[in-house]
Amino acid sequence: MRGRRAAASAIALTAVVGLVLTGCSQQSNTGASGGAAQAGQGFPETPDPEQVPGKPGGVFRMGLTEPTAIDPYNVQESEGALVAKQLFTGLVQVRPNGDEYPGVADTWTSNDNCTQWTFNLKPGQKFSDGTPLTSADFKRGWERTTAKASASEVAYHLNQVQGYEQMQAGTATTLSGVNATNPNTLAVTLSEPNCEFELRTAHPALSPVPASAGAADNTTYNDLPLGNGPFRMDGPWQHDRGIKLVRNDNYTAGPKANLDAVEITITPADTGADAEYNGFRNGQFDWARMPTPVQSQARDEFDPQGKWISKKTAGINYLSVQVTKPPMNSVAARKAVSMAIDRAAITAGVFQGGQAPATAIVPPSFPQAYQEGVCDACTFNPDEAKRLAQEAGFQPGTELNFQFNTGGGHEEWTAAVRQQIEQNLGIKVNYSGVPFRDLLDNQQAPDATGIYRSAWGADYPTPANFLGPLLDTKSIGAASPTEPALGNNRGRYSNPEFDQLLARAAATKDEAQRDDLYKQAEQIAIGRDLAIIPMFQRQQYRLAATDRFGNIGMDFFENPTLDTITLK
Amino acid sequence: MGRFILRRVLQGLLVVVVAAFLIFLATFALGDPFASSGEKAVPPEIAALNRAKFGMDQPLLIQFANYLGNLAIGDMGVDFDQRRPVSELILDVLPNTIVLGLVAVLFLILFGVSAGILAAVRRYSFWDAFVTVLTTVMIGIPVFVLAIFLVANVSGVGPFPPVPRSFTVDVPWYFDVLLPAFTLAVIEAAFVARLMRGSMLEVLRADYVRTARAKGLPERTVIGRHAVRNSLLPVVTFVGLTLGSYVGGAIITETVFQYNGVGYLLSRAITTNNAPIITAVVIYTVVAYVLLSMVVDVLYAYLDPRIRLN
Repeated sequence: MRGRRAAASAIALTAVVGLVLTGCSQQSNTGASGGAAQAGQGFPETPDPEQVPGKPGGVFRMGLTEPTAIDPYNVQESEGALVAKQLFTGLVQVRPNGDEYPGVADTWTSNDNCTQWTFNLKPGQKFSDGTPLTSADFKRGWERTTAKASASEVAYHLNQVQGYEQMQAGTATTLSGVNATNPNTLAVTLSEPNCEFELRTAHPALSPVPASAGAADNTTYNDLPLGNGPFRMDGPWQHDRGIKLVRNDNYTAGPKANLDAVEITITPADTGADAEYNGFRNGQFDWARMPTPVQSQARDEFDPQGKWISKKTAGINYLSVQVTKPPMNSVAARKAVSMAIDRAAITAGVFQGGQAPATAIVPPSFPQAYQEGVCDACTFNPDEAKRLAQEAGFQPGTELNFQFNTGGGHEEWTAAVRQQIEQNLGIKVNYSGVPFRDLLDNQQAPDATGIYRSAWGADYPTPANFLGPLLDTKSIGAASPTEPALGNNRGRYSNPEFDQLLARAAATKDEAQRDDLYKQAEQIAIGRDLAIIPMFQRQQYRLAATDRFGNIGMDFFENPTLDTITLK
Repeated sequence: MGRFILRRVLQGLLVVVVAAFLIFLATFALGDPFASSGEKAVPPEIAALNRAKFGMDQPLLIQFANYLGNLAIGDMGVDFDQRRPVSELILDVLPNTIVLGLVAVLFLILFGVSAGILAAVRRYSFWDAFVTVLTTVMIGIPVFVLAIFLVANVSGVGPFPPVPRSFTVDVPWYFDVLLPAFTLAVIEAAFVARLMRGSMLEVLRADYVRTARAKGLPERTVIGRHAVRNSLLPVVTFVGLTLGSYVGGAIITETVFQYNGVGYLLSRAITTNNAPIITAVVIYTVVAYVLLSMVVDVLYAYLDPRIRLN
């Protein structure tokens, strides 16, 4: 999925319409739910639902924008993940809070430097049609994802598995690092240490597929995937209309689902949130996103009824900074800009309290590694900002480029950021909105300068999935400063000390020690160097029909926990 | 007659090829579609694999030649996102668009022709003025305003099922067609009414109408059999071309109503920069329009002997 759904799923800030900073925010003060959110908090998180015993039955209905693919080899965005995670269960699964628990594998071990992994499969595993499932089905799935002919856009999730390069180059037809000679164990050799590799196996791209799947261009299987998940397809995907799932009574990787069926109605990509919200209100859907402007109103209405879900999730909205080029090539300059921004005021004015200012890059959804306030320059301090700006050599004539992408609902808050920087630092901000693809091109260019709106959502529940892609030298994706930066670290921050800490963390088996190394790394890149500027925490709001269904939570991919939902 | 048709076919083919090239240029110029996935950069090696898969690593002219060659055998390639055959995507939604176009044309014939006759026969009466004012309003309303109004206020009322609704809810197909067809027909219905009125007035002044009346035929026969039939000539042309543009896909109407037709397919493809779909749908639209205008020309020649003689 290329540069699409920026608004729908890849970022937290969905369209903000017609709310001006000076805004007459129309809060209906019912007082029912503790009034408005405090500035700088975001709406308070709601607790995960109390688990009630399940009973078979019920049809759960929801809206969803058309996924790119539900066939695991190319599942890309959270919409695709929603369907694929119901149809397929990988070796390991992750809970809504990011904790791992057994999937098809019941135990997994690695050698000391985490380059050799062994996954032991639970006995008697089956696909939904009753075909036995063995380690060979995982090998097949992984090879289908990485095969050159598949041209999968998510194949890189397997890039640490030995033989990945050969598969992508088309010089091999098998992944040399995956051994499935014993049907009950899958042995994996990695090309670099990764003590958290098991988390990657929860990604749909690493699902097992049956022999009937054929190659990736088998359109029959693309639209009617047969898997080993808690649900199975009830007829093929009706493109742009809907997808119907029914309970898989042959489910062997865990407790069976309670719901008889899930009816997923496809809603338009650009107005999906409106459609889901309206559908929830008129009783068509049991789960819904909502447009940003009505969040506050929806919360006032549905929170007292217990139908409101609020959760901080594994994502961050930030400003990417070109740290190798003036004017932002000094720590003082970056901290000056960051301190000139009043995040709390923007939160209150533009987002009606629906966003929380961020003071770290690793989000609070990782309680063991979260360091609130590691970014000391994330607090609004115009006096200190002015002092730092002088230190950085900012003059009234200094120009700072600031770009954002249009069509993602970022107009308002970025305009406020621009205004605050100009006002508090006395410099000129060259502010422009361009289509997402141009934003990417401009940012990648070797002569890029200034700051760019950016966001990041995690693929796996580990701090490494933030620190690595956004700040590691390897993630710049340019061999030299004169080449475009094709990776996700487009600000070109490069710090050997930081890189080393991440490499050490990847090869550290002990989780507490690993989290400590992540903390040290974040201290350096954010606390000391402020290589990127944290803006807002990713927070998600949903409406759920808790009057009819129990156990409705939000999973790691921000989708409903369909495998545990039960009729009340 | 044969030479006349052949010339029109060759002209049509030229139009299609030129249009195909222009749209191919425009979509190609959209830049690299594979550099990012959502907010994330796609690793360069994967982007390169995708470019090669879609032949985008070749020079533009070679790409276009390949495209035309495949097009000639009905192969429009696969789309960028879901990698489904584009010809299948279009064929899936084409019947919906044709049904919508036909129902809309039915609307505009019913309204336009009868309003035009009424205005012409009761010239300068209240009814004539009423039709004039009404058609002015109809032409003046922007399509998207009317469409949004209808979606917001009519869906869920009476027999029209609410939008959105779960896809498993069965409603008779015509409920989904009526409102968009009405929206689609409004502007052209106004044109047809005015065209019909003008054409009728001209015919009513003609000698053969006077002759018919002199023979003592009842007024109903004079109007119905002689005047209306001959007044329909310009209307037939207009309706034919209108149907051509409808069948090419009504982008705004289909998008607002989320009507699963060619226009909605195109608008979604445009928002996602899905070049294979955009190119194919535009080419299809051009073909549909060219074909229908050819049919109209031939039909007109058949109806009006004077054209054939020229």
